[in-house]
Amino acid sequence: MNGSNVIDTGPRGWGHEIAQHLIQHAAHSAPPPLAERLEEEWLADLAARRGQVSRLLFGLGCCWATNLIAREHRALNVSAATAATGSTTMTTQVQPSLTFLPRRTTVLVAIVGLHVAIIYAFATGLAHRLIEPLQGPMIADVVRETRTLPTPPPPPTVDLYRPPIDLGPEPLIDTGVDRGPDPIHTDVPPIVETLPPQRPVPPPVKRVSGGPGKGFPATDDYYPAASIRLGEQGSSAIQVCVDSSGKLTSEPQVMKSSGSSRLDEGALRLAKAGSGHYRATTENGTPVSSCFGYLITFTLK
Amino acid sequence: MGKGPRDVRMSLQTLKVLDAFLSEPTDELSGADVQKRSGVASGTLYPILLRLESAGWFVSRWEAVDPSSVGRPRRRLYRLTPTGLTRASEVFASFGRGVPA
Repeated sequence: MNGSNVIDTGPRGWGHEIAQHLIQHAAHSAPPPLAERLEEEWLADLAARRGQVSRLLFGLGCCWATNLIAREHRALNVSAATAATGSTTMTTQVQPSLTFLPRRTTVLVAIVGLHVAIIYAFATGLAHRLIEPLQGPMIADVVRETRTLPTPPPPPTVDLYRPPIDLGPEPLIDTGVDRGPDPIHTDVPPIVETLPPQRPVPPPVKRVSGGPGKGFPATDDYYPAASIRLGEQGSSAIQVCVDSSGKLTSEPQVMKSSGSSRLDEGALRLAKAGSGHYRATTENGTPVSSCFGYLITFTLK
Repeated sequence: MGKGPRDVRMSLQTLKVLDAFLSEPTDELSGADVQKRSGVASGTLYPILLRLESAGWFVSRWEAVDPSSVGRPRRRLYRLTPTGLTRASEVFASFGRGVPA
């Protein structure tokens, strides 16, 4: 069967026109060696179809066929000897792959390489040296804020003016009594306040506080041996109460510690040993019993 | 010559196209004729025809008519080669003949 009996040119319509445009467009998108052949072949087969919708579907199918043919043509280099007449046989030749690696592998290698480069940059401080010159010196521009306080609204003006009350003319009350001149006449002498005589102010007492006097033991004799070994130094404030003869009347007390209990203990022993050698406090030159404090300082020499 | 028969991917549509030729193996059919016989849509038909042709199962030629005298473009006609006929028969024999319509 030749198939020529199925050819039906038929009336051309909108379906044929659209399909023809689709076929021409599809053929131009086909691989160049096949473009001319496919366009002529499809247009001939389009003419054999009946019905506008059928022709339109045929045109759309040719567009889809072009995609498949182009995809297969990438893998196979089709060299078609399309002679104008005569029988032709298409020979195929497998085209070697131009790419060494598949595209997916290439993308994967690129991603891994990018990550390695970033990690290397962070690890070696390369990014720091690169970013620093880009950033430039940091200049702090301090802008003093000018704060403008809102001006309070003026206080409302209150009219404090009070109108005078008109009480009318002052009434004159006539009591009918003639007072005449004031009959009472008292002659009171002026009061003179007499204050009691003030007591005489006693003269100020000249008080001289006491302290270690003549014959008071030497401080170094009571320097604790342990403190000397440890290099402790300091001052203890000691309070003593002595009578007019310079003897202790009570146990000496540590008023302020030197910070070392050994030094404080040595100071108390010194204060006790000095009993009878204290200079008594004098009031106007007269020795009196009193309590006073003084510092005992231990210093290494 | 093209590839061997095992290099051609056998799909249902490919079998339908081969079946359209096997009924009258000496016929020369255009794409429109094959579509009528096989019912395969044009988007699938033409890639199959090119694939089988490149594999050496088919040969094709232009119709020997004058387009101006017949008032239409010349058609492309496909025919089974002896090798294609043998191999197509083998394929159908392995399937037990009978392609669903």
